[in-house]
Amino acid sequence: MIRYFARRLAFALVLVIGVSSATLMLTRLAPGDFITESLGTGASQQTIAQQRARYGLDKSIGAQYRDWIAGAARLDLGYSMQYGRPVRDLIPERAANTAILAITALLFATLIGLPLGVITGSRRGGAMAGAIRAASLVLLSMPPLLTSLFLVFLAARTGWLPISGMRSATVPAGGALIDLLRHLVVPAAAIALPLAAMLERLQAQAMSEVIRAPFVLATLARGVPQSRVLWRGALKAALRPVAGVYGLVIGSLLSGSFAVEVITAWPGLGSLMLQALRTRDIYLVAGCAGAGALFLACGTLVSDVALAAVDPRVSDLRTERA
Amino acid sequence: MCRQLFLAAVAAICTIAGAACGSNTTSNATTAGASRSGIPRGGELLVSVRSEPRSFNRHAARDTTTSLVSNLTQSRLVRVNQATQAVEPLLAESWTTEDQGRQLTLSLRRDVVFSDGHPFTADDVLFAFESVYDEKTGSVLADSLQEGGKKLQVSATDPHTVVVTFPAAFAPGIRLLDSLPILPRHKLEGALKAGTFRKAWSLDTPPSEIVGLGPFLLIEYQPGQRLVFTRNPKYFAKAPDGGALPYLDRVVAEIIPDQSAELLRLESGQLDMMTSEISPEAYAPLKRAADEGRVKLLDLGVSRNADAFWFNLKPGAFGEDPRAGWLQRDELRRAISMAVDRKLFADTVFFGAGVPVYGPETPANKIWYWPGLPQTPHDAAAAKQLLASIGLSDRNGDGMLEDAQNRPARFTLLTQKGRPNLERGAAVIRDELKKIGLTVDVAALDAGAVIDQLLHAKYEALYFNADKSDLDPGTNPDFWFSFGSAHMWNLEEKAPVTDWEKKIDELMARQIATLDEAERKTIYNDVQKIFYEHQPIVYFVAPRIYVAHSSRVVNLTPSEYRPQLFWRPETVAVVH
Repeated sequence: MIRYFARRLAFALVLVIGVSSATLMLTRLAPGDFITESLGTGASQQTIAQQRARYGLDKSIGAQYRDWIAGAARLDLGYSMQYGRPVRDLIPERAANTAILAITALLFATLIGLPLGVITGSRRGGAMAGAIRAASLVLLSMPPLLTSLFLVFLAARTGWLPISGMRSATVPAGGALIDLLRHLVVPAAAIALPLAAMLERLQAQAMSEVIRAPFVLATLARGVPQSRVLWRGALKAALRPVAGVYGLVIGSLLSGSFAVEVITAWPGLGSLMLQALRTRDIYLVAGCAGAGALFLACGTLVSDVALAAVDPRVSDLRTERA
Repeated sequence: MCRQLFLAAVAAICTIAGAACGSNTTSNATTAGASRSGIPRGGELLVSVRSEPRSFNRHAARDTTTSLVSNLTQSRLVRVNQATQAVEPLLAESWTTEDQGRQLTLSLRRDVVFSDGHPFTADDVLFAFESVYDEKTGSVLADSLQEGGKKLQVSATDPHTVVVTFPAAFAPGIRLLDSLPILPRHKLEGALKAGTFRKAWSLDTPPSEIVGLGPFLLIEYQPGQRLVFTRNPKYFAKAPDGGALPYLDRVVAEIIPDQSAELLRLESGQLDMMTSEISPEAYAPLKRAADEGRVKLLDLGVSRNADAFWFNLKPGAFGEDPRAGWLQRDELRRAISMAVDRKLFADTVFFGAGVPVYGPETPANKIWYWPGLPQTPHDAAAAKQLLASIGLSDRNGDGMLEDAQNRPARFTLLTQKGRPNLERGAAVIRDELKKIGLTVDVAALDAGAVIDQLLHAKYEALYFNADKSDLDPGTNPDFWFSFGSAHMWNLEEKAPVTDWEKKIDELMARQIATLDEAERKTIYNDVQKIFYEHQPIVYFVAPRIYVAHSSRVVNLTPSEYRPQLFWRPETVAVVH
């Protein structure tokens, strides 16, 4: 088991280095740089040359990469050109904001998607199951961009919730936690609704197969109440496909949802990376990409652990391989 | 499973609670009331910005948000009134011009103190110039505070008198001082001497360390969320009724990267004003909101800048490319100017909210715009004749033009990706030129890449913004002089390449040297005429500028230039 985790850790390390290195090189190779973007038209060639030298952009790509990777080995990811702060400091504060959003959205999606999947998967017909299926299909076909625009519009029209941001400038009555929760509703729902629909569809598919399995039929034949069979035995057996994608979902959510974070002005990793890409802040882009890769690697690990928890056969197989 | 979900829920709530506890509460202290002139005092103004500041030090960055922070927290010697174009006193209460425009003597206000109580003197003005010209600093303001590539000489004759000497007679000299924030020597001299001035007042500097002469003080910066300012009780300027300025107690600048979200917040009352104009596509929904009384929509007139189309006129830029024979010809540019229907352009690109322009100035420039400039007619037939005169005609009957060797008349037009006005404009140019037989391939790149191609002269034609920061042509020498870094069609020429550029150089040299405003105007009309005849840049349409604000914002002095409603922040007030 230890060897298995060591292998996964090594894989995560290679993934992070590979992704951040490739991002750094590609961003550097594209025409234009932070200086041309920030100085705009009209700056003299002399000024541009001075500024490039200041940020090390006058070095060759190879030399720049060598310096960066040497720093990264010491956990020094370089300085953000636009913020004038170490990338190492910028990423954790934004990643924490993204984590708050991602965990809340995941929680919403799980609490909504899984039970609904059990309902639709265990009932062949009925108006309720039909309505849930239809709603899921609509939500699945809507990208988070559209969902967030719709929810922002709704919040603006009703005035019930803040449209954007993470906290109010002045802490309102009710305290900081209530303020944060109110700000969370729109972005978390924008991410959670399509995700809940996906989980519902996966769970329903798995459930419809499991309830026809011999062990379920045998349990029912022994007179165990149907609800108990569904929500205990059958649910656990049907969780495998969901657990398989769960880790990937966690990884991608923690990497930051560009569209939702930008539209709802959520100060997370996604909006930070988008801003870094726009301004060609290469060290920050590489740092954000590396953080995203790390989250993805952790997500797949979580996925494997979750899969092992719901399916002992997977756990046994991995122990044998290790 | 239930236990796992429960644990996950607890973990999430703990994370959220932890983050929430990290937030700061802010004071609600107010100076609420009304001035003797009836303008309300106190209250909070909620404005939006599209991006985070890059620094709290104006010398380190020139982005819009850094400029806004500087305008709120720092002051300058003088300010160009964006509504009237006149220069008005700020820290300098008066000035005289001597030595035929070479020398300015400025009398500074007395009894002015920085926000920490330290007195402001001429020494701080000298420090401001030292920092802008310091080579280690590499200030982004350095280029704009030079004349003919040379630094200004500054000295202080006493603690309240500063003498600024220009390398040569320079009529609009006083206007240059509008761009220089006066920073406190007592706080930043150490950083300048240590060669770390540029890094001083970076984003991780505690706001309490930032000291200024501006109307507001930065009290909080929440990365990715907002900047919070409170009124500077020591601000020197007074209202016309003698009362203290600024009127507002607090300004909160919310960072909202997306304009749709910005507009929705404005419409729903969660925002008071934006610090930029609204895009043409946002006009219709905002007009509805204005009709319903939810916002106020202002038409500020025509923009001072029109997006610009130009060819690469650097000699040898096309190497052995046979198209070099016609791509750099005046006739081609004149034909293009005639071929594009400016009415159609305004309707398509700006949804009708634009006016045709034919030269480098738009009607927004009330002093320097020349109504006598000829107006290019929309005439496709005449355009084709002009193209025929440079050897481009339809030789194979396919409706498209070819050169003398039967090669298609085709070029690539580069523009900026993600700017709808530019992308739509490039598409209109492509479609209009197709009608006269020219094939245009539009390529859209991000801004940095476009500027990189421009700097390396690796483009055929560009449709981009060539904005001028000030309305006085004398303050835009980089654009007009052939050696200028903003001489877009051929940057930083060693010597004028063409006779007409040489003529413009001569005229502009006279234009900035003379102090006679009427003569300056006459000379500039001649410059515009030469420019029109050769059209190194073709202008089509200048958009109208619309801005919106909530109905509780009062005492505004709108200008079509950014930040349209907030260039004079100390006089803005809110009804609360």
